[in-house]
Amino acid sequence: MIRVLIADDEAMIRSALAALLRLEDDIEVVAECADGAQAVIMAEKLQPDICLLDLEMPELDGVQVADRLRSTGSATRCVVVTRHARPGVLRRALASGVSGFLPKSRSANEVAEVIRRVAAGARYIDPEIAADALSDERSPLTERELDVLRAGRRGESTVQIARTLNLAAGTVRNYISAILAKLNVATRQQAVLLAEERGWI
Amino acid sequence: MSASPPADPTENFGPGSIGSRRLSTGITATWWYTVAALLIFQLMILLLWIGAQTNLGKSPASVVTMAVGGLAWCLATVPLLVLYRRRDETAGVTAQWRSILLPLCISTAFAFIAGLTSGLWVMAVLPIVQSLMLLNWPRGVRMRLVMAALMLLGGLWFIDLRSMTSAGGEVAEGWWALGFMTILLPAITVSSLWWWDVLATLDRARAAESRLGATQERLRVATDVHDLQGHHLQVIALQLELSERLLTRDPKAALEQLRLARSSVAAAQQGTRDLAMRFRGVPLRDELDNAVDILRAAGISVNATVSGEVNLAPATILGPIIRETTTNVLRHGAGMRAHLSLKRDGDQWSYEITNDHAAENAHSADGSGIHGIIRRAAEADGSVEVHRGKHEFSIVVRVPATSIKKER
Repeated sequence: MIRVLIADDEAMIRSALAALLRLEDDIEVVAECADGAQAVIMAEKLQPDICLLDLEMPELDGVQVADRLRSTGSATRCVVVTRHARPGVLRRALASGVSGFLPKSRSANEVAEVIRRVAAGARYIDPEIAADALSDERSPLTERELDVLRAGRRGESTVQIARTLNLAAGTVRNYISAILAKLNVATRQQAVLLAEERGWI
Repeated sequence: MSASPPADPTENFGPGSIGSRRLSTGITATWWYTVAALLIFQLMILLLWIGAQTNLGKSPASVVTMAVGGLAWCLATVPLLVLYRRRDETAGVTAQWRSILLPLCISTAFAFIAGLTSGLWVMAVLPIVQSLMLLNWPRGVRMRLVMAALMLLGGLWFIDLRSMTSAGGEVAEGWWALGFMTILLPAITVSSLWWWDVLATLDRARAAESRLGATQERLRVATDVHDLQGHHLQVIALQLELSERLLTRDPKAALEQLRLARSSVAAAQQGTRDLAMRFRGVPLRDELDNAVDILRAAGISVNATVSGEVNLAPATILGPIIRETTTNVLRHGAGMRAHLSLKRDGDQWSYEITNDHAAENAHSADGSGIHGIIRRAAEADGSVEVHRGKHEFSIVVRVPATSIKKER
């Protein structure tokens, strides 16, 4: 038996998927969670073989849940499901040790198949998700510049950004002017908006 | 406007495109032209002053002091100008006080020296006024400052002239020109910078316009999505209603309707996806870079060799192949190494991807991907070679470069 935890904030989808997976002979749904935080607690308590996590959830998203579980040394393998993969998500998911990634449009049958494969130790990346990820528009900004934008996305002052990133305020200002020049915008707020819209941060 | 939808509305203007790079080079050049013009103007006024000092018969030591101090002052205005370009207009004048402190101190020191050695009020004030003009003032404030500077320098010049003539000295020939230029320096500086601001604003407006174009395109897509979904949902609703009615009388027919409804859902999903993907063409180069990034994120050590004008390669054929093969490596590879290469081979483009694979050879278990690749390559008169080694798996796809003209 493969013991599965399902986490999805949309109750209809969660219960329908759970019901359909319970029809499979070799799959046992051990928990249904409505948000990421609950999923982490239940997964630590029940130690399921597979966590089927929705990407878009309140509290913690699917990838963050996978990250938490991995950092606690849990042997649970995570499969993330999403309606539409925003750019950069696959990269983040793979880096967090997610073993499977598939779109929500897959039927319960296919989901069950992926669960079996991942439980057997394989990694499953849906071709649709991979295609989306490969056709991402690339960010012209460097990692450090993205860090600066991320640290300042809620309008934090330059000094606050500098403190968060352990940089000198002058260095942060230099990064910001480089960002403004690259993105061709006048203020940091505009840069943050643009980067969020494109999914770079 | 052309009738065919643009592959990517931001293609010609987006960050990183050739057009925008050329434009930004031009804008940078204009900036340095502005800086150079201002510096030359400052140096000219400095030379005029030194000339006037020599004419007045000041000692060589004081003339040299003037020259050295003046050069230091000119140099001190450079960082202020650089800060001016990078400024955030909403930040306020003291936002970068650490960086402006030293240049302002140098200007003040030179003003002091110039005032003492020449005995003229204008010279004691101009260096400070000029440096102050370069700071990040809010717009209205800058304008008022220029007016104040004009009046101040004019007044001081008048006082200096009075004191010179009252001391019995003759007003030298070049003095009127010198006075005129000295008084006008701040105004000329600010108007040059204003001109630069106009240019920078125009450039931003152009970028905003291209983004607006992209937004409008997106709105159009939203309408398309709405129409598409509306149609499919209606079909599905009817199929479900029918199966509900049939359920008791003819369960077999009801089941058939349910199956049809499911396939309608699949069609709707595919349609939505196709619509969303229609506008997502990225350059082949980016696609390769994304592939490398994602494989690395999955813990695979990747090296990639890409040569030549990759963006000339047939993207509509190679793009899907790159996506497919990368997915295969992610799914089946043993997860240690991978190598990607795309290069021009005479009149062919050759794309190769190699990876180490698990012993059970998972590739043969799922051959559909490879069939798809072979089909795509065949459509473009290309060829596919598949090598299954003991520990390695590689695919080489060759497509003729002749279809380039049609692609672009």
